[in-house]
Amino acid sequence: MDSSSFLPVLVSFRLLLAFIPLHSISGLQHDHQLSSPLTSYARLKEGLWLYGHDIDPYAGGIFRHSPLFLSIFSTVLPPLPIVWALSDIVGAWALLRIWRARQRVGKGSSGRDGLVAAVSLLNPYLFLPSLALSTSTFENTAVLLALMFASEGKPSGALLALAFSTHLSISTFLLLLPVLMLLVTSPVSQLASPQEFRGDLRTACKYAGQFAMYWLVLFGAASVMIGGEWGWLRETWGASLTLPDLTPNPGLWWYFFTEMFDHFRPFFLMVFSVHLAIYVLPICIKFQHDALYASFLLVGILGSFKAYLTLADPGLFLSMFVLFPEVYPYLRHPIVTTLVHIHAALLLPLFHALWVTEGRGNANFYFAASLVMGAAGGMGMVDACFAGLRIAFGDVAEGERDKWAVVQE
Amino acid sequence: MDRVLGLFRRQRQNTNVLRLRRRKNAANFVYRHLSKITTALLAVGYLWMALIPILPLSQLVYIDENALQPAQVNTNWNWQDVHQADLYLLQLEGLRDRNATSEQRASFIRDEFAKLGLPAATQRYTFVTSSGNVSGVNAYAIMNSPRTSGSEAIVVSASWLSELGEKPYNLRGVATVLALAGFLKNYSLWAKDIIFVIGDNYFDGTYAWLNAYHGTIPHNLDTDLLELTSGVIWNALNIDYSGHSFSHLGVFFEGLNGRLPNQDLINSLRLISHYTGNVPLVLYDHLEQHDAPQSSLLANTPEFMKRSPQLREFEYRTRNVKKHVSYQARGRPSGPHGLFHQFRIDAITLYAVPANGPHGFFALGRIMESALRTSNNLLERLHASFFFYILTTPGTFMKIGTFLPSAVLVGVAMIFWGLGQWVAAGWVQEFPAELQLQDKEDDSKAVNVATTTVPTVQSIWRPRRRPVLPAIVAILATHTVGLLAFATINTSWFLRNQPLSSLILFLALDFVSLALLAFISSHPHPPETAPLSMLLQSFNLCLASTVISITSLLNFSLAATLAVTLGIPLLCSRGSPSTSLVSQPSWSVVYSVLAWGWLFLSQEVETAVWNWEVLGVWFAPFVCIVYAPLVMQASLVSRSLFL
Repeated sequence: MDSSSFLPVLVSFRLLLAFIPLHSISGLQHDHQLSSPLTSYARLKEGLWLYGHDIDPYAGGIFRHSPLFLSIFSTVLPPLPIVWALSDIVGAWALLRIWRARQRVGKGSSGRDGLVAAVSLLNPYLFLPSLALSTSTFENTAVLLALMFASEGKPSGALLALAFSTHLSISTFLLLLPVLMLLVTSPVSQLASPQEFRGDLRTACKYAGQFAMYWLVLFGAASVMIGGEWGWLRETWGASLTLPDLTPNPGLWWYFFTEMFDHFRPFFLMVFSVHLAIYVLPICIKFQHDALYASFLLVGILGSFKAYLTLADPGLFLSMFVLFPEVYPYLRHPIVTTLVHIHAALLLPLFHALWVTEGRGNANFYFAASLVMGAAGGMGMVDACFAGLRIAFGDVAEGERDKWAVVQE
Repeated sequence: MDRVLGLFRRQRQNTNVLRLRRRKNAANFVYRHLSKITTALLAVGYLWMALIPILPLSQLVYIDENALQPAQVNTNWNWQDVHQADLYLLQLEGLRDRNATSEQRASFIRDEFAKLGLPAATQRYTFVTSSGNVSGVNAYAIMNSPRTSGSEAIVVSASWLSELGEKPYNLRGVATVLALAGFLKNYSLWAKDIIFVIGDNYFDGTYAWLNAYHGTIPHNLDTDLLELTSGVIWNALNIDYSGHSFSHLGVFFEGLNGRLPNQDLINSLRLISHYTGNVPLVLYDHLEQHDAPQSSLLANTPEFMKRSPQLREFEYRTRNVKKHVSYQARGRPSGPHGLFHQFRIDAITLYAVPANGPHGFFALGRIMESALRTSNNLLERLHASFFFYILTTPGTFMKIGTFLPSAVLVGVAMIFWGLGQWVAAGWVQEFPAELQLQDKEDDSKAVNVATTTVPTVQSIWRPRRRPVLPAIVAILATHTVGLLAFATINTSWFLRNQPLSSLILFLALDFVSLALLAFISSHPHPPETAPLSMLLQSFNLCLASTVISITSLLNFSLAATLAVTLGIPLLCSRGSPSTSLVSQPSWSVVYSVLAWGWLFLSQEVETAVWNWEVLGVWFAPFVCIVYAPLVMQASLVSRSLFL
């Protein structure tokens, strides 16, 4: 069965959905699982309206999107559902290109093209936020584009996409190191035969400089666009670091900081932010032979622990699993992880409804569900990490099986 | 120094090895005794479920919200108000005898409200359903609170019809509401608006009114927004008084989709009914054993059992729990009050249990007055007491912790067995040439016996591939079939040709199930892979367990019903070494009947579809899209053994 015949069907299906005014879709826009204050469509429209009426959109604490969204949606494109559909399709295309680069397929089609695209386009964690017009769709697409260009060895494209991505969501800055490593090495799987990092460090430094340049240009453009004010910095990037808006989401931050006494707040904000960053070096060192896998793991870290998490973040991690079929046999407990994910995916909307809509439950219910979600994300990550390392040992020979075991300590 | 360090190092390594060994031993232990553990969990779960009505699991009810102060007021409702109610009743009986239309009834009620000086209006509505349209006219009036801005409100309601009693018309209930309107207006102590609603028919009138009030008009409801509105409704009391007199007040509390009101409301009513009205409060229409024995369970038992007070008490509690489960599992409201719950309004129905006396309008009016005063005291919504409970008697209840684990334990048993099957599917036992007589099926079953991996066993365990994709396709296909079946059931064609259409659908579904099986087994099955039936059963059990444990919090009765209907059939779908009985082809018929046999209960199907279309009760889609496909998967598993 040639799975690439799915592709046009999937794409046209996604485009079609953008044009059908479904009754239930409008309800999704206010769903706390699908969009956070940083990505909500209602807030985006509010900001655009304020901007159109010459009011500083960042003054009221409502609008927290990047100025780049303001400029794109107020000049080039109107914020119509079709833009989200296109972004989804570009994301799927990028995932496909990453897959092909990793498998060294080239221009032809591999047998799993259709599957890769389907995993991206039909993943409910990505699909529903996109239907809810959450701007996390664009963040994910930017990340995938950066990885795609990096896998194909196109430094300018990769660094520009990454610069965009960090502007849209500051936490993707953590992906800079693996992307640089990917640029100077190859995307082809080296998991089974780990070796020392052999990329050219000088080139990597050069690329880092190039990234800084792109980033500064975008930064300058954003500041000019907003009229030379600096308030947007605190409202957009600052929000990820200082958590001013405690609207519930499936992540682990909001409840913790709702319960926190104010004088502990700065310390724990620091702890939570640093916690995200500490994974970068260990993962990049351990997976120095396969930078794409390292970036995949870091996407997983962001997808369970970042501030203002929405389902789109774990969704990106889960979709990227399709790129690494070689590790599947070494996953330690895939079915348990899947079950925890299913539990979390069912519990989140139910407990949210119990608390917010029906009034039977309280915030603890939803927090419990988001803990399950955190556990599911963590288990997925640990499993991916284990499998990525375990594959290097290969299969255990028949007679040896009882004599030794591979464990993760 | 080096020696000391070396000592430490060796010790650390030892502890690591020890830990590994311990972990492995624990896993081995669990795996070796998996069938025992599963059976034990299952047995404990079912036993717990059976023991839910017993006394030690319940505790005494209490009022949690201090602001309520139930039964602490002197009531002013008097015989002159009773007389007023009688006069209303006379006119209402006239309307009934004249076969007055909904329009005439509603305008009469509206005019009576208006005569009292209350702003009153009517509301017409039509629900479009596949079994025909349902329309009617509601009447309502709003008494503005003399003390506040009216940002909060209490509803006093009665529906025109009653489905609880023997008499179909709730005339005395409507008369009570009208008389109360005239009476309550004379007092200036109300801090909340009081809304009087007379809903047409039984459920649909009140539901249309509520949706119009909250501006959530569903697409199949044709009505206008209300002319008069008030504030946020906090509480609602619905009166069902269809008989002549009553001896007890029954409380009905189950709402749409198994939602329950805050327990404080029921407990307050209990105290008020006892101390203000001198009327004993009972659950539903179940009189307590010493009042009037309505034996059902103990009818055919020896005399000494019938006389045993403990058994009679148990029987009484069982009846209460059974009634609760029959309402909650099907998600249907036990009265018009149940429609209020989804709007975050705590509501109950007070049912005047028909009797030859001694109580009438006098007691009911006083109880209502006192209950309204109690609701009037609230400064915030009821939130302190319980939302998840089972009332075993009016005075005792079960906290969630005392009943929830029973269903969850069954779920855990299922997930354990499912995971065990997953592990078993990953290995194949190979015997040296002279022992290779056993057939393939026994191989997979024998996995349960030995994973001790001691080299003394002469067999070799080799890992094998587990192709998950066909199993997932099969699961998705069954759920799609369920969705299609649900769409069919919702058509007016199906409902009109009930017995015949049920038969056609049943046979079609069975055929689809066979076709699905043929399709799955047509896939090439390399010898080095696990049999599909094993993987399918594993996924099926894990999914079913997930469904049970997640519904158990939302709607325990549904989860418990699922645990009973799914537990053993799904666990036994592949048969177990001890029961060769299950591997008879006739057993697949049992699965078909378990999955779709309910299609032949035409009355039940019709009600469920009506409830889904008009009231949005999730029971019908849940059964079609979640429950039946799960059983279908089990039937696929059991059938694929014969291929």
